[in-house]
Amino acid sequence: MNDRALLLAHAVLGFAAVFSGTHQAAHAVVAALGRPHRRALRRFAFIAPAAVIAQAACGLAIYPAYRVRVRAGFDLHAPMVAQLFELKEHFAALALALVIAASAAGGFDRRPEARWPLAALSCVGAALLWTAAVIGLYVTARHPL
Amino acid sequence: MTRAALAGVSVFALGYVLAEPLHLPVLLYDPWTGGVTLSSAVATRSMRYFGDLLLATLAGLAAAGLVHRLPARMPIAVAATASLSLVALDVLYYLSRLLGAS
Repeated sequence: MNDRALLLAHAVLGFAAVFSGTHQAAHAVVAALGRPHRRALRRFAFIAPAAVIAQAACGLAIYPAYRVRVRAGFDLHAPMVAQLFELKEHFAALALALVIAASAAGGFDRRPEARWPLAALSCVGAALLWTAAVIGLYVTARHPL
Repeated sequence: MTRAALAGVSVFALGYVLAEPLHLPVLLYDPWTGGVTLSSAVATRSMRYFGDLLLATLAGLAAAGLVHRLPARMPIAVAATASLSLVALDVLYYLSRLLGAS
């Protein structure tokens, strides 16, 4: 697939990951407040990890093209943007683990004592996804593939 | 399930942040030649990201699998605090690298 088409797919899947991760976090918080959303949490146990894994796979596929075509220019003329991109990659990796863990456990663990820990995990994962998405949009606006 | 997930996140966060400073050997990908090597190098033109991510993922999955089989010993709240503290340390470490480079 063409690199620009992959970049577009990465952006679309990125939005899907951000919104499904946020939706899952919202359901987890509501469940922790005492109103269990079992069906929604069970649904997002599959939707959020699928969206996050798909956007990560797409991002990994275009990462080499970024390194060859874009990163060298950033290193010379905008090193701060190159560092911001690195930060985005690290945040995306942490969000991947958090969203998958929180969604999978949240969908199947019904014990009340697990609700707040899972809500916290989900919220941190969603926050990292949002941060990575905003940095990704900024870097792409500075220099698309 | 939650304990296993928390253990997975903790070990992932630990493995991901330590792989580069400890020079752990991981898969390196050279985007110019397409070559893949196993190396502990950190300052080459090759990319460590794939290797670090793979290492942390495998370690996290192994930890989750192990904790899933073991009897529960730690309260979930303590395990969650430990997991989120490790994630916070990762975030602070990468933010400090960003601010140090600017």
